[in-house]
Amino acid sequence: MSLLESLTSGQNLVLALVYGGIYGLLAVGIVLVYRGSRVLNFAQGEVGTVGLFVAYFLITKQGLPWWVGALGAIATAVAIGLLFERFVVRTMVSATRLSVAVATVGLLLFLLAVEFRFAGESPRTVRGPIDGNGLTLGGVVVSPTQILSLVVTIAVGLGLTLLLRKTDFGLGVLAAADDPTAVRLVGVRLSRVSAFTWGAGAAISALAVLLIEPTIGVFTPGFASELFVKGLAAALVGGLTSLTGAFAGGLIVGLVEIQVGSLTLTSTVPGIPTLSIFALILAVLLIRPAGLFGRAVASA
Amino acid sequence: MTPPAGAEVLLEVDNVTAGFGVTTVLHGLSFSVRRGEVAGIFGLNGAGKSVSMKVLAGIVAVRTGTLRYDGVDITTMAAEERVARGMAHVPQGRQVFAALTVEQNLRLGAYPLRRKDKSRYPGVLDGVFDRFPVLAERRKQIAGTMSGGQQASLAVARALMAEPTLMLVDEPSAGLSPQVVQELFHTLRAVAATGVTMVLVEQNVAFGLQLVDTANILQVGQIVHSGPVADLDQASLASYLGVGRLLGGGASAALAGRQAPASSNGVGPPKRVRAKKAVATKNAVPAKKAVPAKKAVPANKAVTAKKAQSRDG
Amino acid sequence: MSALSRLPRLMRVLLLMGVLAAVPPLLTRVAPSLFSGLEANIVGTGTYLATAALALNILMGYAGQISLGHFALLGVGAFATGVMTSPTRLALPYLLAVPVAAVLGGLVALVIGLPALRLRGLYLAIATIGFSYAMEQSVFRVKGLSGGSGGIDVPRPIAGSFTFLKTADYVAILLVLLVAVWALDVNLTRSRLGRAFQAIRADEAVASSFGIDVARYKLLAFVLSGAVAGVAGAMYGGLVGTVSASAFGYQFSLLLVVLVVVGGLGSRLGVVIAAYVFAVMPRLFVDIFGEGIRGWDLIIGAALLMVAVRNHPGGVAEALRERKDKRTARRAQAAGLTDDPNPATPALPQMPRPASRAESTPLQPGQPVLRVSGLTVRFGGLVAVNEADLVVPRGQIVGLIGPNGAGKTTMFNAISGLVRPTEGRIELLGRDVTADPGHRRAAAGMGRTFQNIGLAKDLSVTENLLLAQHSVAEYSGWEALMSVRRAPRVERELRERAREAVVALGFERYADTPVRQLSHGQQRIVELGAVLVTAPELVMLDEPSAGMSPGAAENLAVRLRDIRDQLGRTVLLIEHNIPLVLDVCDTLTVLSAGRVIAAGDVDEVARQAEVVSAYLGEAVPA
Repeated sequence: MSLLESLTSGQNLVLALVYGGIYGLLAVGIVLVYRGSRVLNFAQGEVGTVGLFVAYFLITKQGLPWWVGALGAIATAVAIGLLFERFVVRTMVSATRLSVAVATVGLLLFLLAVEFRFAGESPRTVRGPIDGNGLTLGGVVVSPTQILSLVVTIAVGLGLTLLLRKTDFGLGVLAAADDPTAVRLVGVRLSRVSAFTWGAGAAISALAVLLIEPTIGVFTPGFASELFVKGLAAALVGGLTSLTGAFAGGLIVGLVEIQVGSLTLTSTVPGIPTLSIFALILAVLLIRPAGLFGRAVASA
Repeated sequence: MTPPAGAEVLLEVDNVTAGFGVTTVLHGLSFSVRRGEVAGIFGLNGAGKSVSMKVLAGIVAVRTGTLRYDGVDITTMAAEERVARGMAHVPQGRQVFAALTVEQNLRLGAYPLRRKDKSRYPGVLDGVFDRFPVLAERRKQIAGTMSGGQQASLAVARALMAEPTLMLVDEPSAGLSPQVVQELFHTLRAVAATGVTMVLVEQNVAFGLQLVDTANILQVGQIVHSGPVADLDQASLASYLGVGRLLGGGASAALAGRQAPASSNGVGPPKRVRAKKAVATKNAVPAKKAVPAKKAVPANKAVTAKKAQSRDG
Repeated sequence: MSALSRLPRLMRVLLLMGVLAAVPPLLTRVAPSLFSGLEANIVGTGTYLATAALALNILMGYAGQISLGHFALLGVGAFATGVMTSPTRLALPYLLAVPVAAVLGGLVALVIGLPALRLRGLYLAIATIGFSYAMEQSVFRVKGLSGGSGGIDVPRPIAGSFTFLKTADYVAILLVLLVAVWALDVNLTRSRLGRAFQAIRADEAVASSFGIDVARYKLLAFVLSGAVAGVAGAMYGGLVGTVSASAFGYQFSLLLVVLVVVGGLGSRLGVVIAAYVFAVMPRLFVDIFGEGIRGWDLIIGAALLMVAVRNHPGGVAEALRERKDKRTARRAQAAGLTDDPNPATPALPQMPRPASRAESTPLQPGQPVLRVSGLTVRFGGLVAVNEADLVVPRGQIVGLIGPNGAGKTTMFNAISGLVRPTEGRIELLGRDVTADPGHRRAAAGMGRTFQNIGLAKDLSVTENLLLAQHSVAEYSGWEALMSVRRAPRVERELRERAREAVVALGFERYADTPVRQLSHGQQRIVELGAVLVTAPELVMLDEPSAGMSPGAAENLAVRLRDIRDQLGRTVLLIEHNIPLVLDVCDTLTVLSAGRVIAAGDVDEVARQAEVVSAYLGEAVPA
């Protein structure tokens, strides 16, 4: 495929948007937790995978409607996030952030072990939220799930922005990232801010994993680990503190991955899209160490 | 501003020790603040001024001793809970929420108020905007992009949004140019005139002495002097703060300054006790000390002007 | 024991290697049912993981630089070993492959280290994850390099006609390598290298003030760590027989971080224990609970990890240290020793000094030790220091005073090279040092203290005094690592001087106490000792009396005069304690709002009204 063909291919564009949106969602979860607790949550993606297993049980096994499975998935993820926040993160307020990050590695290993023990390695599928064939728009095939995925991504982005900017508590969450002490001094409970970021982060993660699964196909334990790395890249490109930046970073990473992938399909060197994402990270860090959207739009 | 002699004690610090890790900074801190009073804490760097404020705020834990506020033991109460009970803060370094707009900052300041009663918010906001027109003009501006002086105003305004009973003001003048310090002085005095009780920590002694009713002087984590500013003479101030020879050279600028606004001003509540205290101050300070003070004033002004220039340039 | 400790160190290391290496092969032959290939494999896994954890510990535990992609460096070593030894490739001996793996690991780590000079914390962490992910997904799957996704064979080593086919025999080699790495690590921590790493971890500004080239040592930490990781990779390759890309996912790098944190950052023994426990645990679970536990073991292990980190964020090492601290604290209490705000009175004239630094550098007549002219420092729009001049003549105590925020510390930082001046010129001993980095100025004879104590607070008093002598410790990195030639002799001298300094400071009782546990006043004294132990020409003190009681401050005045009169040093002093300043200073320079508003003789300056008002603040005209 030539560069021009690839860049103008509608199919590529749709894929880039879908994947980019999902990376963006994961990045938003990472950034939320990072802002709330100054911690990189390594279990961010895997919490979503556990939700996916719950959805599999409810939808594929029990034959319940998709939305019931989705609710179950999100509820499970939120419960894990909140429990971990309450019993690990909050008791470690005075520990180094590295130690807390290592505790999240513990959570990651725990979730993986649970998945392997109770589900095993056999590949599974969860059907999409909407049945039926995809739409064909100007020669581009778009599945209903992909459309929903785009809609949900945008809705979550907007909803979160409104919540954070228009409510007192949301403002507290935004401000807590820059200055936790000053936030306490106006009376906002930091423990609630922390619980919110971990809970919301987990919910977003479950949603993202649920939405991307039909596009990828099958899943096994550890399904989200690759997605997580790309979410990290997106968060970093966006500047780690900016939610807008996280979405933008997701789209950039998605675009680079899909475009480079389609251009190098026939290359004998494996993993060029991954290399290009790494190159992107390095370039952004060296040119703008605070990310493309660092500081400037740190408010949301 | 000055409460009647028998006014009820709002805040009582009793024999508090506190510190970080293995270091103890406060070794038995005790003082009390009456309702409606402006109490100052002064001391050298490292004496424990900041830690005292953090202990009052609930950010640094009390090791031994007790804190009572408004009749309640708050020794182990969380900082957020203290705020909900009417404490508001103008933290050191101002700490406005740099990424938020002016209005968002004020709304967060009203967090405890809005949790109790949202309907009062617009009124309080209008009142604050009346007092700080500059903030009304800039209500949509990102706070981090404002000048130091505007941020100082915002920090005070944010504290007022909670309609506080007690305001803890930590080093408000630090890092501000002389003109801005002057504006801030008038602001804080006007706030005090509304009857809000204040605890002020200030490194700029002259500035601080002009604002407070009682001075508490801190040395190595203990209060070594506590009493009305009027009772503080130059010699004891000098020895407490260790500025003896500097002061002795010519100017008791600090104390003289304390008298100046009291005797000549029209700012503040006209019928309150301030005038009475000015008389007391004059009586307390021997007349000969007032003479060098006068000499010092033009020099001070000259420096003020010079510094202002250098800031502009 | 005593006979053993009389042996030269090298002999002891070799002996340990021999004994350890002999155990697995003997055991498997004597009691094959007890120690079969399975058990040997567990020991082998523990050994290569321990080596890898030691590698990461050099970087994270000593130098404080984070890497979440270290397992990729093991991959570099493993694939290098495969290419070197595989019969279808170069078919070279294993013994040759190990150093090549080390060199390649070091080189690749150097490349990762370069961005680390600009990046910090989380940014660096994510960049290193990205590196490891890209290696796993791409580079390690390139056919020509690594045999593609099928991987590459790493045959067991051959010595003459003997092949280390039995895992127990191969493990003997791994144990020898682990002991070698351990010995190098010990040498490292006992040398200026290890101390420089630890200083960087504590505070880069402090490190620079002791003459440490921060950038160089950071890169060195990456290279050393990468080399050891490369060796661990070679160990791993031979153990598993076939290495393929999928074995180097970033999750394994996270595992290494877990081992280092659980073991305790910077604790050699802790991380090695953590690695072996990790290797043994699955087997232990099965032995204790039977086969039914399979699957649950990982769940329980991960849960234990969370609980362990939650309850002991500092890992095994911290837990042990806490217990020891509690015991010493109880003993101290029983002996009636408490935290006193009036620390010991040091006898500074007895401070030892390096032979090379005892004499003063000759100066032209009239030339000051330090001359600062037209110094301006801007931070963004803020002018912190504005065209300031400062002259510090030899043999004087010069006070730099002014209100908070006047720019005193910024000026100090510009003089010592921590802050780059926007304009102006700084001359030290008649030489323009404006363009020199901080560590070079320190080496040229500039010592300074910091407001928040310029010491590595996790290190003991003695270790800090050794650290302070970085610029006079003249031996190379190789000599340090192997502990040969100049290194042992110079170290002995440094230690002797540190011991004398401890005595002069009156800190014998606290010689091995971590600085963190001393009172603020005591830390100040140690800091002063650390600055003076290299006899710098110019001693710069930033608020030495802060937090001292009036009595201790009086004491300080005597010490400051000693520094000038007895030690013959020149002092530049930032101080808020005016009585002290007026008491000890020969000349004063007063800063206000970044400008020098007065300078000259103490009495003259103290009389100026501007100074008084700048210092006490303005009375606000109402």
